[in-house]
Amino acid sequence: MRGRPGLVTAYERDAAILPTTTQRVWFALFCLAAALLAAVAPDDLALRGASAAAAAVGAIGLNLVTGWAGQISLGHAFFLGIGAYTAAALGGEPGGPLIGLGLEMWIWLPAAGLVAALAGLVVAPIATRLRGLYLAFVTLGLVFIGEHIFREWDSLTGGIGVGRSAPKPIIFGYDLSREGNFLGITLSPEQQYFLFALVLLLVMGLLAKNLVRSRIGRAFSAIRDRDVAAEIMGIHLGRYKLIAFTVSSFYAGIAGALLWTFVGFIEPRSFSLTLSIVYIAMILVGGVASIAGSIMGAVFITFLPRIVDFFAPLVPFIEDSPTGGFLTSVQVEQILFGLLIVLFLIVEPLGLYGIWTRIRNYWKAWPFSY
Amino acid sequence: MTATEQRPRSDVPELAFTSMTAWLRDIAQDEPNRVGLREKVFGIWQETTYGEYWELVKTVGMALWALGVRPGDKVAIHSENRLAWVVSDLAVQGIQAVSVGLYSTNPAPEVHYLLNHSESKVLIAEDQEQVDKALAVRDHLPHLEKIIYLEPRGVRTYDDPVLMSWDVFLALGRQQLIESPGRFDELTDGIELDTTATIVYTSGTTGPPKGAMLTNRNLVWTAGRAIGVIAAEKITTARVELLSYLPLCHVFGRLYDLAFGIASRATVNFAESIDTVVADLAEIQPTYFPAPPRIWEKMSAAAQIRMADASPVKKALYRVFLKAGMWNADRILEKGSRGLLGNVVHGAGWLLVYRSLQKKLGMSRCLQAVSGAAPIAPEVLKFFMAVGVPIVEGWGMTETNALGTVNRPGRIKLGTIGEPLDGCELRIAGDGEILTRHPAVFKGYFKDPEATAEAIDDEGWFSTGDVGEWDGNHIRIIDRKKDIIITAGGKNVSPSELENLLKVSPFIKEAMVVGDRRKFVSALIGIEFDVVANWAQRKGITFTTYRDLSEKPEVTELIRKQVDRANEDLARVEQIKQFKLIPKELDHDQGELTATQKIKRKVLAEEFSDLIEGMYS
Repeated sequence: MRGRPGLVTAYERDAAILPTTTQRVWFALFCLAAALLAAVAPDDLALRGASAAAAAVGAIGLNLVTGWAGQISLGHAFFLGIGAYTAAALGGEPGGPLIGLGLEMWIWLPAAGLVAALAGLVVAPIATRLRGLYLAFVTLGLVFIGEHIFREWDSLTGGIGVGRSAPKPIIFGYDLSREGNFLGITLSPEQQYFLFALVLLLVMGLLAKNLVRSRIGRAFSAIRDRDVAAEIMGIHLGRYKLIAFTVSSFYAGIAGALLWTFVGFIEPRSFSLTLSIVYIAMILVGGVASIAGSIMGAVFITFLPRIVDFFAPLVPFIEDSPTGGFLTSVQVEQILFGLLIVLFLIVEPLGLYGIWTRIRNYWKAWPFSY
Repeated sequence: MTATEQRPRSDVPELAFTSMTAWLRDIAQDEPNRVGLREKVFGIWQETTYGEYWELVKTVGMALWALGVRPGDKVAIHSENRLAWVVSDLAVQGIQAVSVGLYSTNPAPEVHYLLNHSESKVLIAEDQEQVDKALAVRDHLPHLEKIIYLEPRGVRTYDDPVLMSWDVFLALGRQQLIESPGRFDELTDGIELDTTATIVYTSGTTGPPKGAMLTNRNLVWTAGRAIGVIAAEKITTARVELLSYLPLCHVFGRLYDLAFGIASRATVNFAESIDTVVADLAEIQPTYFPAPPRIWEKMSAAAQIRMADASPVKKALYRVFLKAGMWNADRILEKGSRGLLGNVVHGAGWLLVYRSLQKKLGMSRCLQAVSGAAPIAPEVLKFFMAVGVPIVEGWGMTETNALGTVNRPGRIKLGTIGEPLDGCELRIAGDGEILTRHPAVFKGYFKDPEATAEAIDDEGWFSTGDVGEWDGNHIRIIDRKKDIIITAGGKNVSPSELENLLKVSPFIKEAMVVGDRRKFVSALIGIEFDVVANWAQRKGITFTTYRDLSEKPEVTELIRKQVDRANEDLARVEQIKQFKLIPKELDHDQGELTATQKIKRKVLAEEFSDLIEGMYS
């Protein structure tokens, strides 16, 4: 109702993603600002932005299964890997030593998601029988199985130390990896990646938001809060855990395909436990069970190396070179990951999103404090 | 006060309709899709258009007809405010019967008195609680033939032929509508202006409630006046939102939710319950908001307490702009408007404090807020004026269908009840009693010709029982004629004025000033539990119950400070020399308060006589 945001006369309004005009306007402005940023950012930052946006898609996926449905998954790296290699296989150069069908991006990108989702679908039945620590172990096993396959399947991955190049991002003949021209603005490949990833994040983010506000999302939350209680409420645990894993894997597949396309090269050892932990760090730092939090976390973690590089020269015992000094900047990064996870879990369990909520509530409650 | 003065009588506006039901029909035909009512069901405000509203009224009217209700019969409604209330009221009036409203807090003995006295034939009861009250005394109600219940929960299992569910009742009405489709309209067309439409029982602070018979003329004229006075002076908005929470069996609630609601084609939103009013207010942000002083006091106290808990920056800003607002309120009172400088200050305050505060209070879209039903302390009004809520005080009573006087925007005089409304004649008799005469003055007390003769004289002047005096064109009320205290020293003291001064303090909920034929004035004071509890927690005072808290010496000390502050504004003879804290919360069930939360002085004086005597010995 105009001027009366609290006067809700329909559930559609009550559950709307952006219920008020003010929110819609702010959201549109925010999207516009992000697009402008993509158009003006220098190449290295644009590439990092693109990676952050793609990682955000993956983080949203992990958040769906872990944040909303409460199913701890350490196997996210496995699904990211499946996405990356499906894309490489479908989009790679045909006729070479490695599998490659030479298809365009509009085929291999959704296919990457679908194949990963299929893998998720296969794994999900295990998850319906296990929970907590045991589920964590099973998904951990998944990562090791994945690592082994990626290492040994030379015709797909090229093998350890060799790897293979990522597929070309070509949509209907338009190559994103070549300089483009839009309305008189010249865009570098990195800037185009960034724009493309932003659009994709927008779509995937809205889809996820729509999912979690619906019956499925409410079922996820119910399972997370108490699976027995959820079952008594009439929620089919098996079905919803299946949905959670499948959808989550789909997001991971898309993210994996996109991320390594931006990097340009796929190394089989990338999809290790560390990668899974990085994604868990993203949702813990950003905010559990929050789309905005997933994005914040992905952006923060992706830009963390940049931040470390920026501050490294100022700290005497951190060295740039991989050999000298007490700590290298890569080591500092990893220590920071650990520290961040510990700190956020103790100090700010709701993550960056929680901090944002607190700031927002300060203004929302104005002039009161509660 | 000694001079008898009479104000000129303005032209009485013509009556557009002969009944409120006919008025509703007119809207339903003109704008059937306009939203007339909203009720919150499962967290959503469900809408009823004027077209559906009218259909429901017809159905309920014909259902009552099928049950044998004929012109002149009484139908009682015992429920909280809800859709079925207003629908039933208009349906009863539409078939020329008479509606009687009961407060949901009325205990069984009062239910018995009211149903028996009104000779109600049908009772529309909200839920099991109200049904039980009626069933408990049913053997002593010879006139009662049927009880319709709205909420089946708990009642479903009752096996009593006198009971009928609302759904069955509506089905009966639909059946009757098919059988005789034109009858309801015929009955409504046949309504005469001077027949009784509703009986409103007074709150009865002194004796048993008296049934004021209000005619169709009273109601329709009131609706016309209400819109004329409130809307004509301000902007008439295209859409008026009202929050229905004042009891509909009281004229103040009826004035807004039925009379003004229909006259302005408003959307009436029913509050979920009395406990959710604050949240409902914030959601609805009503266009016009009436409230008794108790609500205003509570809202201002709640705002101040939450402000005390706010962060330093917020607190500082609030303090600055409350001061600025008070300065602005003084300007409005003196000059009628803020002026240029005042508006600049107000604009800044609006951006930083007032706007969000108003939103929290539910007053951000309020064009006119009114305090009525009891005298209010000027300080409370000033607080709301300071934060930019356009608030005025008005005066009326059951017998005048809530019409009388009101302060006009731009001509507000604090401490007065304002100027007589257009069409309302007002004069002050030799003994200071206010007399009034206008088309909304009631027909008489039901089954009480003596009291009627006492109240209305041959020329139609109604003796209000309030003692007042002219202050320019405004009227200042001294007190109820019966309540004025004459101390042993021979001084006249108005207890309600002193009580209101005390109740300005957020810590004080109830106050009763005593001192009739005594050496000095003293007071019984009831603390506001939530606020004092909050205060005690901060001070680290441990307590268990209401009684325990009010017996703490620290609390007595706190209240003493409040009393001393109130005494500062008083002349020596009026000052409250002694006070005692009431050890329990006053309650309607115990007969200490009326249904409208007014104190019953006699009952309290008796119940706490030892406390009172203790102060004078």
